[in-house]
Amino acid sequence: MPSVAVLGPVVLPLIAAAVIAAFGLAGVDLGRAAAGIGGWSSVAALFAVWVPVRSSLELILGQLGYGSAFDLRVDAVAFAFGLMITVPAAVLLSLQPRTWQESALSLLGVAAAMATVEGGGIVLTAIAGGTAATVAVVMLDIEDPRAWRPSWALLLAGWLALTWVGAILQVSGGTAIYSAVPVAAVTAPVFVLIAASAVLASCMFPWRTWPARLWARPSLRAAGITVGVLYPLGFYLLVRAYELGDGRYPSAWFNVALAVVGIAAGAAAAARAQAAATRREFLGEVIPGFGGFALMAIAIGTPLGLVAGLVLLATASALVACLALLPDRAGAASVLAIAAAIGLPPGLAFGGRVIGIEATFEAGDLLGLIGVAGAAAWVVWMVGGARAIGLPGGRGHPAAETFPRVSMLIAALTLVAGPALAVLHFGFANPVAGEVMPSAAGALAGGLTAVVTVSSVLPVVTLLVPLLVIAMATYAWTGTSAIHTQARPALFPLPGAAALDRARTAIRAATVPEQYRSIFNIRELEAAAAGGSPVLWLAALVALGFAVTR
Amino acid sequence: MPPEAIEIIAFAAVALVLVLVVAPATASRRTLAVRGGAGLVGTVAIAAAPTFELVLLVLLALGVLQAAVAGNRPFAVRLRAPVLAVAMLALALVLARVEVPDAVGRFAAVGLVAGLAAAIGLLPYIQPFDPEDPVTSSPVAWLAFVGPVLAAVIVAQAQGLLGPDAGGAFGTLLIGIGLLNMAWGTVASLWTENGVAAWRYSFVADWGLALCGLGLTVGDGRRAALLVLFGILLGRLPLYMASRRALRERIATDRPINLVVAAALAGSAPFAGFAARVLLLRGATQLFWPLALVLGLGMLLWLPGSLRLGRSLGVPRGRQAVGVAIVLAINVVVGLYPLPLLQAARL
Amino acid sequence: MIEVAAGFVAWLGASMVVLADGRRGLALGVAIATLGLAVLVLQDAGPLEAAAIALGGLLAAARCVSSGPAGWQIMPPGSTPRFVLCVAVGVLALWIAFSVTAGEGAPLRFAVLTVTGLAGARVLLGADAPALLTSVVLLALAIGAAAGLGDAPLGAWPYVAAGAVAAGACWVPVRVARAA
Repeated sequence: MPSVAVLGPVVLPLIAAAVIAAFGLAGVDLGRAAAGIGGWSSVAALFAVWVPVRSSLELILGQLGYGSAFDLRVDAVAFAFGLMITVPAAVLLSLQPRTWQESALSLLGVAAAMATVEGGGIVLTAIAGGTAATVAVVMLDIEDPRAWRPSWALLLAGWLALTWVGAILQVSGGTAIYSAVPVAAVTAPVFVLIAASAVLASCMFPWRTWPARLWARPSLRAAGITVGVLYPLGFYLLVRAYELGDGRYPSAWFNVALAVVGIAAGAAAAARAQAAATRREFLGEVIPGFGGFALMAIAIGTPLGLVAGLVLLATASALVACLALLPDRAGAASVLAIAAAIGLPPGLAFGGRVIGIEATFEAGDLLGLIGVAGAAAWVVWMVGGARAIGLPGGRGHPAAETFPRVSMLIAALTLVAGPALAVLHFGFANPVAGEVMPSAAGALAGGLTAVVTVSSVLPVVTLLVPLLVIAMATYAWTGTSAIHTQARPALFPLPGAAALDRARTAIRAATVPEQYRSIFNIRELEAAAAGGSPVLWLAALVALGFAVTR
Repeated sequence: MPPEAIEIIAFAAVALVLVLVVAPATASRRTLAVRGGAGLVGTVAIAAAPTFELVLLVLLALGVLQAAVAGNRPFAVRLRAPVLAVAMLALALVLARVEVPDAVGRFAAVGLVAGLAAAIGLLPYIQPFDPEDPVTSSPVAWLAFVGPVLAAVIVAQAQGLLGPDAGGAFGTLLIGIGLLNMAWGTVASLWTENGVAAWRYSFVADWGLALCGLGLTVGDGRRAALLVLFGILLGRLPLYMASRRALRERIATDRPINLVVAAALAGSAPFAGFAARVLLLRGATQLFWPLALVLGLGMLLWLPGSLRLGRSLGVPRGRQAVGVAIVLAINVVVGLYPLPLLQAARL
Repeated sequence: MIEVAAGFVAWLGASMVVLADGRRGLALGVAIATLGLAVLVLQDAGPLEAAAIALGGLLAAARCVSSGPAGWQIMPPGSTPRFVLCVAVGVLALWIAFSVTAGEGAPLRFAVLTVTGLAGARVLLGADAPALLTSVVLLALAIGAAAGLGDAPLGAWPYVAAGAVAAGACWVPVRVARAA
C-alpha cells in the first residue's frame, strides 16, 4: 500500500465537499447522495488503508513552517477513532436532507476530524482539531442561528491548550511527533495540559455541556454531525497520551484523577437523566454518560480498561447516529434506543461497562472504589431508562430528518452485537492497546469467543447469546402497546441543582453598584484611552521610562 | 533593505490590489489607488532608507502628507501622533548613538517602543478616531498599511542601535505594550458601540500579538510577528474594506460567509492567524513559559469580537465576494503551509 | 565656544517657535534655530551639509512669513507654562548633553535634544496648522543634524533629506473635507 493512501480518508470528503459546493454555487444541489458518497468514501478509504496491512502507514511530506512536518499516519488508533468519526457521519449524511452548504460543511468537519486522528504530531492534531471545532460552530450557526450552540471559545480552548503542549514538546523534547517524543519530555505539567485539552475538547464535565445540550436543538442535522466528529477527539488525545508516555501516564495519580473526572461526568449524566422531563432530554444525556464510563475505563491505565473504553466509545458513536435519526415519539425505536443506551444485557454497552468496571477492580486500590461508583451510576441509568420509556417524547424534530427504522436497526445492532464483544476486542480495540501500550499488550488474550482478564475469563458468546434470546422473547411477549407516556416524578432530585440555579441567576443579575458606575464606565474609559490627550501620552512615556529603571 | 520588510512591502502591494477589488462601489477607487499608491511608495522609502535618520524623515513626510489629505478630523489631531512618534524616535536615536550609561541607554528603548506605538497608533498612543473618516486619512491607514513595514524596519534598526542591556529592555517593553494592546483591542472591539471603531480595535489587538512576537528574542517570535502582519495586511484590511458599506448601513448578517470570516479574523485554525499563534506559543515557551500561558488565555479573547466583526461584513456580492473568497483562500493556504513565506523572509 | 553659542541659538529659536503664535514670530524662530543647527553641522560635518540644512530651514522660514496668524504674537497672554517648558527642556537637555552622556559633540547633542523636545512639545500644545508645520520643520532639521552624532559618517544624504522635508513641510496644502 503506498503511503500516499493515508491521504484518502481526509482528501476524499474534501473533494466531495468541493464538488458539492461547486455545483451548489452553480445552482445545482447534489443532495444527500453526494454527501453520503463523501462520507462513505472516507470510511472505505480507511478500511482500504488499514485492513490489508494492519500496521502503521505513514506519509511525511516535509516541514510546514511551525516546527512540524506534514505527517499523516494511519495506525490502529487512527483506524479505530476514524471509524468512530466517519461511520455515524456517513450514515447521517446519507439519510438526512441538507442544503448544499450544510453538506459541504459537514464533509469539511469530517475531513478535519479525520486529519486530527491521522495527524502524526501534536501540533498538526491541534490545528486539525481546531479546524473541526470551527467548522462545527459554523455548521450549527447556519442551520439555526437562534438555537443554542456551544461557545466557540470553549470549543477552541482545548485545541489551543494542545497547541501549547505541542510547542512545549518541540522546545523541550525536540519534536511533537507522537512516536518520537522522548518519554522524559512528557512531564507532569505537560500531561496536565494534555489532560485539560482532552477534557475541554470533549467537554467531559460533571455538568450539562454541549454533548448533552445540542440534542435539545429543534433540528438534529448539525448536532448529530457535531457530536459525532468532535466528541471522540478528546478521548483520542488521552489514548495518544499513553503512546507519548510509553504506555503510561507520568504518575498513577493522573489515572486516578481522570477516572474520577470520568465517573463524575457519567454519574452526573445519570442523575440528570433520571430526572429528565422528556425522553429527548433523557437521550441527550446518553452520550455524556457513555463518555463518562469510557473516560473512567481509559484512564485506569491497563490494556483491559483501554479496550473497554474503546468499545464504549464505539457504541456511543453508533448511538450518535441512532439518536439523531430517532423521532420524538413512543414506539419500538425509542424502546430499543433506550435499551441500547442504558446498557441492557446483552448489548455492547453492557459488555463494555462490565469489562470497564472489572478493569477498575483488577487495577486495585482507589480505582476499585471508582468501579463501585461506576456500578452505582449504571444502576441509576437502568432505573432512569425504565422511567424514560414512559416519558413524553419532547419537542419533536422535522419528520424529514428522522428515520425510525434505521435508528431502530442501529440500536438493535448494538444490542445483538453484545455476544460479539470478544470479536470487537480482537479486531478493533486490542490493536489500539498494542499500539499505545506495547509493553502491556501481551496481557490481552481470549480470541473470538471470550475476553480473558487477569483474574477471570468472560466467555461472552456462551453467556450473552442466551441472554439475547431471553431478551428477544421478553420483548416479543410484552410489546410496546402497554407504554403510556406521561410526566413522571424523578427518582431523586438533582443534588445541588437548586443552589446552582440560584448562583447562576445571581451571577447573571450582577451589576456594578450605582455609586461605582462612574468609576468603571467602559464608554468613558474608551474616550479617555482614545482621546489623544497629550497629558495621557506624556504620562505613558513617564510610566514606560519608570518601568525600564526597575 | 531587511528581507522581512521587502516581503511585507509585497504583502502591502497585494493588499492594495485586494482593497481595490473589495472596496465598496461608492468609494472612489481612483482616489483610493492614488493615495494607497502614495502610501506604498512611502513604505518602500521607509524600508529602503539606509539610515535611521532617513527613515524618520520619510515617516515625518508621510505623516504630514496623510494629515494634509481631506478628512473629518482636524489637521492638528491627525498630525499630532506621527510627529510625536518621530520626536520620540529621534530622541531615542540620540541616546542610542552617544555614549551613555546602561541605565540611560534603556531610555533609548523606551523612545523606540513609544515612538513605534505612536506612529502606528497603538496604546497608549491611540489616535482619536472618526468612524466617518475615509480609510486613507484615518488611523487605520497607519495601523493596517504603513505600520507593518515601519515596525519591521524599526525593530531591525533597533538591533543595530541598542546594546544588550537596552536591547533586553526593548524586547520587554514590546511584550508589555503588546499584551496591553492585545487585552484592550480584543475587549474594546467587542464592547465599543460603533462598528467601525470595533474594526479599528481589532487591528490594535492584532498588533498586540505582533509586538509580542517582535519582543521575543527568538526566531519563532519574529516568524509569528511576520504571520500576524501578513494577517493584518492580507486578511483584516481587505475584509475591513469589504465591510465598509454594511457598516455604514448598519447591516449585520448571519450567513456562513460571516462566520468563516469571523473565524479568519479570530485566528482560528486553519487560517494564518492560528499558525502565528502556534509560533508565538513556541517562542514564548522558549523564553518564559508563563508568558505563553498569558498569551494562550489572551488568544481566546479574539473570538467574541470577531463574531461581531464577521457579522458586520454583510453579504458580499459580485466582485466583493470574489475578493473575500481570495482573502480567505490565501489565509488558509498560509495558515496550513507558512514555510515559503518564512523562508522568503529568511526566518 | 562657537559650538556652544550655536547650541544656545538653536535652543533660542526652538523656544521662540514654542512661544510664538504669529507668523513672524514662528518664522523668526525657525530662522534662528536653523542658524544654530547649520553652524553646528558646519563644524561637525561640512559646508555642503550645513548648506542643505540652512537652505531647507530658510525656505521654510520664508513660507512661514506668509502663512498663519498675522504679527509676531511672541509670548501672548497665558504663555507662562510654555516659557517654563522651554527653560525646563533646555536645562534637562543641557544636563543630558554635557553630564549624562560622554564624548565629543556635546553642543550638537544639546541642540538636537532641545530642538526635538521643544518641537514635539509644540505639536502637543498647538492646534494651528502653521505652528504645527513649523514644529515639523524644526524636527526635520534636528533629525538631519543628529546624523553627525554617530561614529560612522553617514554622508550628506540625511542632511539633504532633512533640508528637503523642512523646506517642503510648510508648503503642504492643508485641506479639511467632509468626504465619506
